[in-house]
Amino acid sequence: MSDIKDVPPNTLTLFGIIGGLVGIYLSPYFPTAGALGAMCAVVWGADAVRRVAKYGLGTGVPSIGQLALGMGIIAAMFSLALTRSVTLAGPILALITASIIGLIIGWLAQNVIKMKIPVMIRGMTEIAAAGVLIILGYSATVAGNYVFAGIIPKVFDNGVILAIFWVGTLAMAHPFNACLGPDERQKRLLYLAVSTGAITMTLMGIAALMTLGVSGVYTIIVGIILWLISYKKFWDEVYKDVASVLGTGLLPKTEG
Amino acid sequence: MVLDLTMGMAVLALMGALATIAGCLEDLETDVGSQSNANSQVQLAPQMGFLHRIYNKAISGEPVSYGFSAVTGATVTTVLLNFRLYPLTAITIGAFIAAIIYGVFSTTAHAGRIASQSRFKQPLYMDMIRYTTPTIIAHNFIANFCLIAIAYLQFTMLGFPFPIPFLALIWGITVGCIGSAVGDVHYGGERQYQNREFGVGLNTALSGRIVRKGESGLRSSIDNVWFCAKFGGPATGIGFGLVVFLTFWPVIIFRGYTWNTMIAGFIIVVLMVLLNRLLEVNIKNTYGPYKEDKIEKEART
Repeated sequence: MSDIKDVPPNTLTLFGIIGGLVGIYLSPYFPTAGALGAMCAVVWGADAVRRVAKYGLGTGVPSIGQLALGMGIIAAMFSLALTRSVTLAGPILALITASIIGLIIGWLAQNVIKMKIPVMIRGMTEIAAAGVLIILGYSATVAGNYVFAGIIPKVFDNGVILAIFWVGTLAMAHPFNACLGPDERQKRLLYLAVSTGAITMTLMGIAALMTLGVSGVYTIIVGIILWLISYKKFWDEVYKDVASVLGTGLLPKTEG
Repeated sequence: MVLDLTMGMAVLALMGALATIAGCLEDLETDVGSQSNANSQVQLAPQMGFLHRIYNKAISGEPVSYGFSAVTGATVTTVLLNFRLYPLTAITIGAFIAAIIYGVFSTTAHAGRIASQSRFKQPLYMDMIRYTTPTIIAHNFIANFCLIAIAYLQFTMLGFPFPIPFLALIWGITVGCIGSAVGDVHYGGERQYQNREFGVGLNTALSGRIVRKGESGLRSSIDNVWFCAKFGGPATGIGFGLVVFLTFWPVIIFRGYTWNTMIAGFIIVVLMVLLNRLLEVNIKNTYGPYKEDKIEKEART
């Protein structure tokens, strides 16, 4: 929407997939890494939501986030349950499964419902893939690993999965929803995505206090530091982009 | 079912009261921030040349944002209960942390939306953010507290098999839906278009032409809560209170999840449908289709 050069989608896709998978695979050694990986996926997902929702999905923005994380949960649980003997294959299989579900839903939206959004199929695939990495990443932070037998008692039984599902959805959908408008800029949106991802990470750190103990403290500290930096950066971008910043005062005399 | 009838009724009354407060505060909070469908007019206003000093909080729709805030608080509460804190302390701290996070999301939503409207010259008023965000946090805290308390009572006293975050999420979504359906009309249709005759409907040409001046000075988001607290908020509270009360009443009376409970629940739904139909027919008979008044007729001819 603006003439300033955006970060290309392919770069963000690579960032999301590689960052997400590395984070998830490192989580058994250092649980905080899972949330860091999920944050990469949040940034990627927020940009994918932006590209799809730019075509006029006003109220549909949070819905698309729900859809993404919904596909993500199904793909994650299916793949982790299937690879119980070869746990290393779990996250990769989950990513592939989610991409296929996203592809099918994108194809249905484009060709059956006829939504006529050119980037729909690619967008839905990316959103679903980002969704599964968000689910797995944050779950790994709370459970301390990414295996089925570890995630079920530590994430599902106590209801933390719902926090991951719902807060993860907002982490991904809120940046575009909050920056919606004719002068929306990608840089501001990406900083906001880091901020919302960091808030989710902090919450997962609190949940990890219950399941893992002290490693939750590291997650909380890293989450708060990342949030402070990205929130400050977001406001810097706001001050740069906004028409004028006023301490207080009456309305300017430009109205019609 | 772990309670006798008297105790069950007491818990039911408490849950109904909590739900009424939660519903009322939920609607008022979203009015402070102009969330949900009333938000579209605030978003459109600068585009029509109507610059304003009203908070533009677009976290998401009300059901999603209230589910978010309730599930956040409930997760923190679960963690604290796990550390054997007193339930009241755990719920209070949980609701407080959720409200702070909600406040952060509110500021980013407002600032982001205003920054994305820079071509219409809409300024970002910092004083407005400073005094409106704490109001949002305060309202949200009370609503969260009530929602998590309902989920806690349901889990511990009524013996529901689901964890507290799950129950709180469901109640968060429900209160958001009711706030959106019942309360928003009083902010969007009535307050934002107070200069038009009541009940005229919103012409497309009027989109974004909201009232921006108050009784004294410019209208602020706090003025809007004052207006909505007269009817919209309490109406939402009664709506949500009734939903919670009528959901659990058969469970308490018929002692658990028996067939009698199911039948009683079904009868309540049928009665509600009948009452709604009667109300609709009554309204149509009383007011009928829209009639042009004299001035409109003259203007047309």
